[in-house]
Amino acid sequence: MAAQDLVWLGVAAGLVGLGVYGVLVAGHLLRKLLALNLLGTAVFLLMVVLGRRGAATPDPVSQAMVLTGIVVAVSATAFGLALMLALYRRSGEAALDDEAGAPDGDGRD
Amino acid sequence: MSLVELAAALFLLCGCAFFLAGTLGLLRFPDTLSRLHALTKADNVGLLLICIGLAIQSGSLRASLQLGLVWLLALTASTVSAHLVARRAHRQSNGAGR
Amino acid sequence: MMLLAFDLLLAAGLLGLAVLVVAGPTLFVSLVAYTVFGLLMAVAWARLGAPDLALAEAAIGAGLTGAMLMLSYRRLLAIRPERTGQRLVRRSRLALPIALACTVLSAGLFMALAGLPEPQRSAGGDALAATAQSEVGNPVTAVLLLFRGYDTLLELLVLLVAWLGVAMVQAQARPSAPRPPAPVPLLDALLAAVVPGTVLVGGYLLHAGGQAPGGAFQAGAVLAAAGVLMALAGRLQPRARATPVQAGLLVLGLLVFTAAGLWPLAAGQPLLALDGLATVYAVEAAMTVSIALGLCLLFLGAAGLGSK
Repeated sequence: MAAQDLVWLGVAAGLVGLGVYGVLVAGHLLRKLLALNLLGTAVFLLMVVLGRRGAATPDPVSQAMVLTGIVVAVSATAFGLALMLALYRRSGEAALDDEAGAPDGDGRD
Repeated sequence: MSLVELAAALFLLCGCAFFLAGTLGLLRFPDTLSRLHALTKADNVGLLLICIGLAIQSGSLRASLQLGLVWLLALTASTVSAHLVARRAHRQSNGAGR
Repeated sequence: MMLLAFDLLLAAGLLGLAVLVVAGPTLFVSLVAYTVFGLLMAVAWARLGAPDLALAEAAIGAGLTGAMLMLSYRRLLAIRPERTGQRLVRRSRLALPIALACTVLSAGLFMALAGLPEPQRSAGGDALAATAQSEVGNPVTAVLLLFRGYDTLLELLVLLVAWLGVAMVQAQARPSAPRPPAPVPLLDALLAAVVPGTVLVGGYLLHAGGQAPGGAFQAGAVLAAAGVLMALAGRLQPRARATPVQAGLLVLGLLVFTAAGLWPLAAGQPLLALDGLATVYAVEAAMTVSIALGLCLLFLGAAGLGSK
């Protein structure tokens, strides 16, 4: 594999780790949503980099699928944000805010 | 390295220096207004220098005009956003709030 | 060599920003880091030889998502100002073990993928060959509309369903009257200059998509950005419910694509076997309208601007 592809493969693999970490550890839902988006970007990067192997031109199939994926990701993020705001409006309490200083931390350990 | 390449490299380096100065100001200056001052002035000149450097490097009129358009658009957007940020900061410091 | 150095720098920037996103000191730092991450991703797609993705990422990933996140953050601040801006100091006791496990996951993934053999024959190669025989010059557009039409058609449906979901959640929100933003003369001047230009760029991207990087997704995203800009400046008043015209435009892309996809059946062709450049452009144009309006309404709903 070319050096450039290895660099981007490294970024994608690193983003997978960071994304999973964020989804599991982040207490605030907004941050979980961001971590989920990082995970999505990692998958997009993997698809494009793996589509580049041994090809003179970038793979149009993986590009087209990632293009669709970007729009789906923003749709899901918008829905997630709307749900989060609705929850926050209704409960206002710890459900979202654990990370920001509830006495028992995330309440998850 | 030809004279043209040298000139392009010189412009690009100068542009980067301006960006460096602008970022330094953004990080080191004490309040919002002086940070904006550093950012808007230094970065817009830096972008202009980089666009000139790239235009020289490209050697085509079409690409040069496109780069000029990029600079103009960035200038417009940064003017308005700097104005909005400054306005907000000014109102808040006067205790008026919003 | 220089380009590899640039890639390494970009990669380091992306990973550093991602660390800030998941572990930054405050929520605000995370949001800003994520927005900058989107911008750098656009550069990364360009470096990877995918200009179509760079355009989409710059308009959607950095632009729309960034603005949407900032507005949501402002809503959170408005509801509970004392909590939202706080430093996020407390972490789960499991954070360290999870971090270790995730490092192992990343390393394992990298080792496994770096060792993959190069494929002899790929779908991408077949698509390039088939594109050369069609009238469409941009292989990505060809894949989206000619070879993998199901993906694109159902993607329009996903956008519609997401909007329905947002609208349903919004309908239950307690009505709150958003303050109309104070008029800013300079902002109005910017809108007058930028919005027509944005419409022009959207039209160009749609037109160029047949032969060069661009297409319905990018055009729709750019047009949606113009709508968002106007809504933020208070020029577009969001409504709680979509008007019949809006609803019609929202499903226009889906309807035109379905109709164009059913048509070949009559001639004994398979479903979604779109024929001819004119059909492709008609479907793309309808899709652009639906995507632009869909993204714009999603944005307004998600950011809580529509609750009135």
